[in-house]
Amino acid sequence: MNHITKLLCKRLPALGATLIAGAAMAATPYPVGALNPVSGAGSTFGSGMLKSIEIAAHAINEAGGACGRTIKIVSADTQTSPDAAVVAAKKLVDVDKVNAVLGTWSSGVSLAVLPITKAAGITEMNTSGAPAVTQNDPQDLVWRFQATDKLFGEVFAKIAHQHGFKRPATMAYNNASGVSLVKVFARTWKASGGKLASEVIYNPHQSSYQSELQQVLSHHPDVVVMGSYVPDTTIILREWYQSGEDPNLKWIIPGWAANDSLIKALGSQVTQGVISVDSISNIHAASYRYWAKAYKRETGHDANTNAYAAMAYDMMTVWGLAMQADCSDLSHKAINGRIRKIDSSSGVKVYSFAQGKKALAAGKTINYQGASSDLSFDAQGNTTAIFKESVIDHGKLKGVKLITSVK
Amino acid sequence: MSDFVNLAFNGLIVGLLVSLLAMAITLVFGIARFPNASAGDVATVGAYSGLAGSAITHKLYLIVAFGVAVPAAVSVFFYFILFRALSRKAAVSSLIASIGVAFVLRATLTGIFGYDTRSYPLPIARATLIGPLRVMPSDLSILFIALAALAVVFATLYLTPIGKRMRAVADNPDLAKASGIRANRVLVVMWVMAGLLAGLAGTLLGVKAVISSQMGWDLLIPAFAAAILGGLGNPLGAVVGGVLIGVAQEVSTPFVGFTYKFAIGFLVLLITLLIRPQGLFASNIQVR
Repeated sequence: MNHITKLLCKRLPALGATLIAGAAMAATPYPVGALNPVSGAGSTFGSGMLKSIEIAAHAINEAGGACGRTIKIVSADTQTSPDAAVVAAKKLVDVDKVNAVLGTWSSGVSLAVLPITKAAGITEMNTSGAPAVTQNDPQDLVWRFQATDKLFGEVFAKIAHQHGFKRPATMAYNNASGVSLVKVFARTWKASGGKLASEVIYNPHQSSYQSELQQVLSHHPDVVVMGSYVPDTTIILREWYQSGEDPNLKWIIPGWAANDSLIKALGSQVTQGVISVDSISNIHAASYRYWAKAYKRETGHDANTNAYAAMAYDMMTVWGLAMQADCSDLSHKAINGRIRKIDSSSGVKVYSFAQGKKALAAGKTINYQGASSDLSFDAQGNTTAIFKESVIDHGKLKGVKLITSVK
Repeated sequence: MSDFVNLAFNGLIVGLLVSLLAMAITLVFGIARFPNASAGDVATVGAYSGLAGSAITHKLYLIVAFGVAVPAAVSVFFYFILFRALSRKAAVSSLIASIGVAFVLRATLTGIFGYDTRSYPLPIARATLIGPLRVMPSDLSILFIALAALAVVFATLYLTPIGKRMRAVADNPDLAKASGIRANRVLVVMWVMAGLLAGLAGTLLGVKAVISSQMGWDLLIPAFAAAILGGLGNPLGAVVGGVLIGVAQEVSTPFVGFTYKFAIGFLVLLITLLIRPQGLFASNIQVR
């Protein structure tokens, strides 16, 4: 069957019957690669991401496919390890001949996979934070659906200003993400005339951070801005509380470190008043509601437990809409080139593939509003993000306000 | 000045945790004669069994009791199924096998408990000032328990008949055998002690820091450094080595910063070995 289809595809255009050719091509499913951290450190998110890509593909197929082609998801596991991810990516590109690779999670994995997708000239969509991921991309094939560490640093500075802090200190876990977050904070803070009390970068996997804390506390900051993770944050906050020094000190901590596991480890007394900042999904949009319902049905988990899955859903939907935007050219390069077109700020807002397909058929330009954010890509392929500031009060995270980053 | 006192005290606590594991390593090296790479992960077993125990009791000493009992059993178990059979082969076979044991233990713990870090449900209390020294109650408990454990180990080694036999086997296995000392019994006691010490290191590290499946592995390299610094096979050397590295690391931070303090620990090791290649306290074998 496949053979005949290929033959038809080759011969018929020669006869000038492009219409019939289109119909024949419709029979071949369109392969898209889902490369997610199904096992390893990212496994909490990976299977939900894969499920969400499938939810989006199903929605596209239900709406009659993209340009009549049904989407076929070929999945592979990164094991949250760059080595395993490279092997999996090679298989997706060389054996399965996928047209795009969606959903790599951590920066280390994305940076390892990118040379393979770039060499094959295909699109790569990820949820990684490190700025390097979207740099050095002359073919414009890399798209980031997660807020960069840079955006986090800028938002942290904004929040510190709003709270009226005067003497912030920073503490960062010594890796690309932790250090770049506090560096951007420091730069933004100093640019607006502020001064820093102290800056400390610490090594991971220590049994104690008392020496580091002693250094920070000796400069009497009024707030400590952290670029940290749960294990080190647990130890640092516990040691600060136990020391009894500066009991009124405030903390601004990224949401991946200041969350329910931190509260569980430390209790309500130590964590009282900690400010947690996280990027969140586009919770008021119809696209989010549709995805969240399907996610709950498919996985049994609440949608707000997996922001990366919302991003993965958007990846597939964006790719489907970019296909649909011009059915005369379905080469992956051409589709990639149309991603900004379905995100046109002057276009009519659409919240699903079906809606977008209808609007495109009516000859309108569209602006897809995603489940993860309103998805407005900058020149490097980074998206905007929505941040939520929460405060820990009596052992509960309480939302204070939403902040949208500027492009 | 008060800063240095506090840094040194913190170094002492961190160093003691390293010492406990270094002691476990040095006992195995002295008597079973191979570098045991699974010691770190046996420590992790201790931390998690303490955690399992904390579901029943919130008392620190009972958590510690759980935290040492299971690793001691695990340690003896692997002696019987693995290290006993390998004892007649070259030390490298036991070393490789111990790396395998490390992987098995870590993978099992990760499989059961996942990658999330945990903490013991212990009260978090404020520090008290003793002169310039700021002492946290939890650090005081760690200090007390670690010193008590070390005292028991030294008393066993130097004051009991089994301790004498252990030292005899460490000193000269053939002569010990000829004198009618049964190596098997000595080895079982030694593996129990190594398991208890490693488990204690893991549990106390869990009290001070957090519990994770990687924690023991992270402690292994500093512990080996401490054991080598003190002279592999020498129990007192392991303790001194651990404390020396811990204190040197913390006290150096005002001068070298925080990112390079680990390098200082190894610098101490490097300089010591240049001056005294056999380590601070050379074991009997190396002296001979």
